[in-house]
Amino acid sequence: MDYGLTLALIGAGLAALLAGIGSAIGISTAGKSATGVLSEKPERYGQMFIMVVLPGTQGFYGFLAAFLVMLNLNFFAEEGVPELSTTLGLQVLIACLPIAFAGLVSAIFQGRVCSGGILMAAKRPEMAFKAGVVYAVMVEVYAVLGLLVTMFMLMFGIDWPT
Amino acid sequence: MPELAEQAILDFYTYPPIGGDDWRYTFQTAQVRTLEIQMLSRAALLDMANAENFEQAADLLSGSEYALPRGGKDFAEVEEILQQRRAAVRELFSDLMLDEPTVELFRTRDDFANLRLAVRRTMTEKPLGTDYSSGGNVPPELIEQIFSEEDVFSKPVFPDYVQEAVEQAVLAYYQQKDIRRIDYAIDSVQAQYNLRQARRLRSVFLLGFFRIQIDLTNIRTMLRLKFTESEQPNVFLEGGFIELERFRHGLELGYEALGPLFFVTPYHRIVDTGANYLASNKSFLRVEQQCDEHLTGFLKSTVLITAGPQPIIAFLLMKENEIRTVRLILTAKKNHLDTKLILDRIS
Repeated sequence: MDYGLTLALIGAGLAALLAGIGSAIGISTAGKSATGVLSEKPERYGQMFIMVVLPGTQGFYGFLAAFLVMLNLNFFAEEGVPELSTTLGLQVLIACLPIAFAGLVSAIFQGRVCSGGILMAAKRPEMAFKAGVVYAVMVEVYAVLGLLVTMFMLMFGIDWPT
Repeated sequence: MPELAEQAILDFYTYPPIGGDDWRYTFQTAQVRTLEIQMLSRAALLDMANAENFEQAADLLSGSEYALPRGGKDFAEVEEILQQRRAAVRELFSDLMLDEPTVELFRTRDDFANLRLAVRRTMTEKPLGTDYSSGGNVPPELIEQIFSEEDVFSKPVFPDYVQEAVEQAVLAYYQQKDIRRIDYAIDSVQAQYNLRQARRLRSVFLLGFFRIQIDLTNIRTMLRLKFTESEQPNVFLEGGFIELERFRHGLELGYEALGPLFFVTPYHRIVDTGANYLASNKSFLRVEQQCDEHLTGFLKSTVLITAGPQPIIAFLLMKENEIRTVRLILTAKKNHLDTKLILDRIS
């Protein structure tokens, strides 16, 4: 009996799940900082917004990877999902891991960087973009790299059944 | 937590470690960061000190939270506003701190202050009075009642730290019949209690803060003993970063040799500047100012913390310091003190 499809689905699930968990934690950290500042300075909402939503991107990256797996497995086609060998399923699972873990960890730490940026923006609004957002984007880069590796492996490294 | 172990003095240059982040305090830290913006700037305080008179100094507060009611120029009104602000800051601190034992620890400051008053008055057979602070853990009414009935020892009703402080203070007073011994004894109990609690709370920041406080108290004590030429080498507090032998040795040296004696410590500038000013002006203004500045510098280093109790504790203490400075300037202006003296104290 082949477990290929199960393994591939676990891979897609992990990509969406772990990156999503990371984003939720990151947004909650940044969001708590933002609400703390906004409780005293509500006029800073615009500046805070970008830094609160930035850790949310990893969740979308995870979703994108999972969607790519589902697309290649013909989830949305009428003919149904094809049989997958265990080896192929394992390849799909491994291909999903970069964005799953890079997304999880980078989102949590990006949330902390955003939190620091929010505190700085509270005192030095002119530095909100220059330092707050730019530093947070630096963390984002590694989530993007994770997504790219996952996408390249899924698109060019796996011989999907037709 | 290895940082909680006793630290050698050379482990840091100016300030000891302040500990790491605690992400439970994300919201609270952000709130105090925003409130810090509303604090009076150094320039505003200097403007107040340079004002021609009390009225002008009070006018400079009109755009701040300390603004007097329209037309109000009475010092009693100022005092009331300052007390209201202090109560509000303490209430905010109590709301923001998630660790109740830390709030209780800071409330004990008022307990020890109340105790100093009550024991001093009892020992010198003066009226007990009713002017006790209500910000402590022990209700002022209980202190009044127990001391008026002279029932402190027969049935202990105070918390352990208060009971210990009373016993030590009374014992210290009767040993030498010296009223200052009461303060030394209570200071000592308070310092040891603070250190014990900081260790129990596993707070690197609080431990560092209380140890700096002990060092600064010892520096002040050393200079006061030198100035009054008293010989009481056993009044220094234990538990600071500096070994007590250095302070005792300082008592034997001249003012000019104190700076070099403390050269290897983080307090070199405080001792050097304070001792020189004391020698030339016969005044403790500069050492008090330098001690305040050192402590404020340590509190300001909490800017490195993104989330944690440290910025909240620092905010409480800096805000209380701001209130004290405003009171100091306005009192000095009301009493027509020389502007240079005020500047020496605050700048």
